[in-house]
Amino acid sequence: MSTNNSQHTGPRKYWKSLEELVSTRSVGEQARVTTEFPEGYDLPPVENSGVSRRTFMGLLSASMAVAATSCRRPDHKFVPAVRGVEYQIPGLPSFYTTVFTHGNAATGLLVKAREGRPVKIEGNDLHPASMGSSSAFQQATLLSLYDPDRMKGARVSQGYSSIDNAVSFIAQALNEAQAEGKSTRILLDEHASPSLAALMQEIEAGLPSVQFVVLPAIAASNAAAANNATLGMNGEFVPDYSKADVIVSIDCDFLSPVAKHAEYNIGRFTQHRRPSLANPEMNKLIVAESTLSLTGSNADLRVRLTPDQYEGFLGALAQEVGAGVSARSAVSGEAAAQAKRVAADIKSGKQAVVVVGAHLPMAVHALAVAINQAIGAIGADKPLDPGHQLPFSGDNRAAVQALRNDLKSGAVGAVIFADTNPMYWGDNELKSLLQRVSRRFAISMYEDESASICSIYIPMAHYLETWGDAISFDGTLAIQQPLVAPLNESSVSLGEGFMRIAKAANSTMFANTESYLGYVQQQWGFTGEGYKAVVSSVAAPSDGDAAMMASSGSTTWEQVLRDGVLRKDRAVPVASFDSAGAGRIVGESPKIAAPGGNQVYCLITPSYAVYDGRLGNNGWLQELADPVTKVTWGNVAMMNAATAKQLDVEYGDMVKISTSHGSIIVPTWIQPGMANGVVATTAGYGRQKGGVVLEGVGSNAFALLGPGESLGYVVANIEKTGEHETLATTQNHHTLMGRNIVQETTLARLKGGSKELFARVNVPGKKEGETGNRFSPPENIMDEYVYKGHRWSMSIDLSSCTGCNACVIACQSENNIPVVGKQQVVNGREMQWLRIDRYFVGEGDLETLDDNVQVVFQPMLCQHCENAPCENVCPVAATTHSPEGLNEMTYNRCVGTRYCLNNCPYKVRRFNYLNWHKKDRTPIEFAFNPDVTVRMRGVIEKCTFCVQRINEAKYKAKDAGRSRVRDGEVVTACQQACPADAIVFGDVNDEKSRIHSASKNERGFLVLEEINTRPQITYQAKVRNDKSTNA
Amino acid sequence: MKEEQTAAAKNAVRRNDMAEHGLRKDSLREPLVLGNPTLHDITEKISSIAVGAPNKKFMLALTITGLMAAWGVVAIVYTIITGIGVWGLNNPMGWGWDITNFVFWVGIGHAGTLISAILFLFRQKWRTAINRAAEAMTIFAVICALLFPLLHTGRPWLAVYWLLPYPNQMQMWTNFRSPLEWDVFAVGTYFTVSLLFWFTGLVPDLAMLRNYAKNKLGRTLYGFFSLGWVGSSRHWHHYEMAYMILAGLSTPLVLSVHSIVSFDFAVSVLPGWHTTIFPPYFVAGAIFSGFAMVITLMVVAREVLDLHQFITLKHFDNMNKIILATGMMVGYAYAMEFFIAWYSGSSYELFVFKNRATGDYAWSYWIMILCNVISPQIFWSAKMRRSIPVMFIVSIFVNIGMWFERFTIISTSLHHDYLPASWGYYSPTWVEISIFIGTFGIFLSLFLLFTKFLPVIATAEVKAILPNAQPKHGHHGGSSTLNPGEAH
Repeated sequence: MSTNNSQHTGPRKYWKSLEELVSTRSVGEQARVTTEFPEGYDLPPVENSGVSRRTFMGLLSASMAVAATSCRRPDHKFVPAVRGVEYQIPGLPSFYTTVFTHGNAATGLLVKAREGRPVKIEGNDLHPASMGSSSAFQQATLLSLYDPDRMKGARVSQGYSSIDNAVSFIAQALNEAQAEGKSTRILLDEHASPSLAALMQEIEAGLPSVQFVVLPAIAASNAAAANNATLGMNGEFVPDYSKADVIVSIDCDFLSPVAKHAEYNIGRFTQHRRPSLANPEMNKLIVAESTLSLTGSNADLRVRLTPDQYEGFLGALAQEVGAGVSARSAVSGEAAAQAKRVAADIKSGKQAVVVVGAHLPMAVHALAVAINQAIGAIGADKPLDPGHQLPFSGDNRAAVQALRNDLKSGAVGAVIFADTNPMYWGDNELKSLLQRVSRRFAISMYEDESASICSIYIPMAHYLETWGDAISFDGTLAIQQPLVAPLNESSVSLGEGFMRIAKAANSTMFANTESYLGYVQQQWGFTGEGYKAVVSSVAAPSDGDAAMMASSGSTTWEQVLRDGVLRKDRAVPVASFDSAGAGRIVGESPKIAAPGGNQVYCLITPSYAVYDGRLGNNGWLQELADPVTKVTWGNVAMMNAATAKQLDVEYGDMVKISTSHGSIIVPTWIQPGMANGVVATTAGYGRQKGGVVLEGVGSNAFALLGPGESLGYVVANIEKTGEHETLATTQNHHTLMGRNIVQETTLARLKGGSKELFARVNVPGKKEGETGNRFSPPENIMDEYVYKGHRWSMSIDLSSCTGCNACVIACQSENNIPVVGKQQVVNGREMQWLRIDRYFVGEGDLETLDDNVQVVFQPMLCQHCENAPCENVCPVAATTHSPEGLNEMTYNRCVGTRYCLNNCPYKVRRFNYLNWHKKDRTPIEFAFNPDVTVRMRGVIEKCTFCVQRINEAKYKAKDAGRSRVRDGEVVTACQQACPADAIVFGDVNDEKSRIHSASKNERGFLVLEEINTRPQITYQAKVRNDKSTNA
Repeated sequence: MKEEQTAAAKNAVRRNDMAEHGLRKDSLREPLVLGNPTLHDITEKISSIAVGAPNKKFMLALTITGLMAAWGVVAIVYTIITGIGVWGLNNPMGWGWDITNFVFWVGIGHAGTLISAILFLFRQKWRTAINRAAEAMTIFAVICALLFPLLHTGRPWLAVYWLLPYPNQMQMWTNFRSPLEWDVFAVGTYFTVSLLFWFTGLVPDLAMLRNYAKNKLGRTLYGFFSLGWVGSSRHWHHYEMAYMILAGLSTPLVLSVHSIVSFDFAVSVLPGWHTTIFPPYFVAGAIFSGFAMVITLMVVAREVLDLHQFITLKHFDNMNKIILATGMMVGYAYAMEFFIAWYSGSSYELFVFKNRATGDYAWSYWIMILCNVISPQIFWSAKMRRSIPVMFIVSIFVNIGMWFERFTIISTSLHHDYLPASWGYYSPTWVEISIFIGTFGIFLSLFLLFTKFLPVIATAEVKAILPNAQPKHGHHGGSSTLNPGEAH
């Protein structure tokens, strides 16, 4: 009956010494263990209450007497329920605004809480980056809040301690270092918080020996440096893709679900990806790349280049558009011809923009800036608006170099890892330099690679637990509002931690500021009485977000909390192009190193799931299939068939990729569409410490980097190891086998006003690809069921879906879908109700697809067939049709024959082969949505069209005295998250609804229409803006 | 060698008999019982097997099969405690060895009813020597089969009664549209009727054992189950009526059970499953596999229990002819499936069949073709039909082939169905294999116990077909004497 049982749920532990035992105990227990004969040892052991046996007997008899005369329970504490928590009604959700920052990219969120605990993350539609949507990465942070592997308490020299102790020790150490004449470096990741920036400035001023260094794992200094030299703008653009008709991406993966502002990029990009017969217009995406990225997968035109060709390719474009800057090399042959085609598109009179991958050399960036300048893509209200920059971005190479120099010279006496993990992603030199610093401390959520080399660490709170703020790229301020008190009482936000350390080191600092919340409020102008204060100098909203500014010119704290955003005036920087600067940068820029003899280019990109590994302990993300390869739980070496043939490797054969700095061993993934001699892998795997989920997953691709190198192309040796691994993929077959499952058409066809945009179904006697095959369902001898009330239906637009996975995680979070682990994914038992099928299409087989490979994504979920094949085969009637057209699953009734799964043509049913929740550790269960049943083993589950959300909307309508739910009142989790707005859901019986018109759309088709299952999901055919495509 | 000698000896006896009756050798059908035993000889022979003490060989065999069964039970308990996840099944493939084994065992259980009921109604006298064992085999096979529909469910503790329609306060009925529900009725009925039929046929023989039992327990049990049989004319009259009625009831079941089992597949929408040929094809396949299993068991039992007198090469010849015929039927079905897949014009259907022969599970398909279509062709030769080693090997082949037939149907249609994105592959784990071995253990243990405690030959019926069981009409000449077993 130990009070800290919950901390020892792992395997049985043996302690080498008493000290070690002490170090693993809580403070209270330490006292008991360290004192050989603690006070009261001679009394009978009574658990923590200090009640002696005599007293106990007395109480026992008294309570017996009470129990005999009254039925009232003893009251320890009265909770005055008449004064409940504001706005909180048990059983009903409350929504709070907050903000999540991914590096320095801030996205406003709306988080749903039930009974005081956050259960679902959604986008804040008032925030310009979110517009109501959210990425998979943002959604998944909910699981990290309840991660049982988070640090439980502050630790001082191997032992748990109070946070005050830890803070004072750190402060003392900083002062000691200062006394030695040495400085302290606080390393942190990029951030977007103006308050934190102000706080850090204040601390640097008050504690002269302390210096903050922004040290991101994945740097974008090349872009900022090039912008600085060419435009006088030391920062990164956040392009508005809705303002461009032709988008040329040079190895820039802006549609990556982990890119900064992924949800914004996808949302803006897809605004013009929904052409119709009435309005046959769409943008054109041209991607020049050497791997097959998610952005390349969505391209209308893909140009396959080797890394050394980028500069020449852009040089050719620059020449065509008359940018006035020339490249150091030129492309010839096919690449030159492609450059001409691309140039023609750019010069077609439409607004074009060229974007460049952050990892490419400065020369490529500078050329792109010159081209963008020449084609008028830079400026206010243009795709590249200098007013839309990532906050606090900029070229920080000098600061990082200074840090290295100081570390080398021994000038650094203490280092604090503030939510950054250089001991994982750093190069060998940086790691050894950091280890040489005598005083090492950490503020971190996990006992990760960096925290574990520190003598003192302070647990960092999750962003849903603490106050903070963030400024977005367009200057909109957002408040980070906690939804729940820190689950581990001693954890603090970075700001709070910095402030406490500063206070302890220098008692004159922050004397009047009680907490970081107070500091933030001060920064925002909510001083004095705070809550009722009025902000002055608030600008009028620039676009449609008028709701935020109901009372123009003044906003209360409550309003800020409610809306989550606040717009303030700020000076918009003006960018003026400096052609000479561009030329200089092109000349100075290093080139991508060329591989020698049997070497290859190795492209290292951030993982599409876990980014740089910071969310490595998140099961949802680890099990999230890479949108292109569909591989989960780890990284692979992607290469095309030609490269694989040279290496004599097949799918799953382990290869060793090595540079002079390190090596990784990863399985082979044969990826059509990659350039010859290029191998790509992802960083963010191969974590060693920081939780049980991330252990042993993948290999650490950061190890391939040398000092000063960042993710991008490196020259590597690659060899076959002879070992083999079964890849944990969620999809094992990658082509459509000539089946008309996914329909495609071209913009040209739409423009031509063709009534038959694509081949409909596999009708006997018709040739492949022949149009005009409409399926006519057989006559029904029975009367058709008439859906009188609601009839729920969905539409998914394949033309705007980019395959970003946001819906997959949204569904997983909303519907309590378990994580099954790598082995079970290998076994084919992943549980996600919504999967995104990815098909490679093109002429020829997978081996020869490289140049003309095209990709389609098809979100696949329960089709809620009217003639559902699953329903009639269930012997116990556990799956039935509702009067509103839903295919319903009654878990209680299910005995698990799996007949429905077999008979589902879409294979969207999921079986609980084992008790997936058996290994759930507290408090992970609090992440569950209380409105959705957690399924036991042995039952089938599947998409419900978020029936809990439908019912909630119906209750609300009923309360409001309406018999029907209005259009837009039911938003499914996948629809809510989708940044591309590709999913439309609603009542198809409501003739004014969006879904009614969407399901009648000329691009609409039903998957497997010819087997007459009558699905309730209408897919909209994918449109490619490419005349050469034969759909 | 021993076999040949015995056969030669028997043939000599036969020739003597024939000469005695002054008959032409080539005009006479082979007698069904050799050695011209007296009624008492038969009673002695059969009851001595049943009431004698078990020998060492029997105990050894029973130990092996018992261990197999116990191992299966371990795997079953492990499955129930942990979940179906201990098997190899996955997302596209919700069924694997479980349903393969179910259909396999139900198929084995087919020969019994066919022999007992249909051959009885068609007056096929040769059935009498093998019907008792074949019926016992049926019942034991259906017991094994019934394990799988229950075990394959995710929550067997609920499936065991939720699959049965019973009135309840929730007014929750089973789904009568589901083929799995039809299975419950079809297999349940089949099992019940087969058991009753078997028991009814056993009553006179149990009475015989009651008289021969060596201890009180035996006398009591045999006495109880023989239902007071004294062999009176009234008893015989009722007995024959009941037997006839049960035979009539069982006959449609022979067709219905496997038709309905095939509906599990035919009623679905999956290419390769959704075909109208399945009911007759499955029935033919079931008879095919059932007879193969009868041969496997009877070849061994005949040898071990020295039943050469009763189970003759003629019996085997007849059964092998049925195997040849039903083997051709399933071969025809295999070919016709390909034709229809092409003729239908459905690309999904055509793909599935091409994939069967050339895809990931092609090995399974070609094992099936080799065992089911090619190996029985040897029975075109009369000599081979009468060769014990040949028929034993072919019967084993057919058993294997028919198991692979079900596996091929299940796996090829499930692993590559409509959407290529959801395609997968499946292989079993040790647990599934153990359960299958376990069912063989259960089946063989029950069969061994049957041979030890019950009359393996339907004594009363065999007596009725003895040449001297009927008044002799030889001196009248004519054809009636040519059929010594003819009942009047």
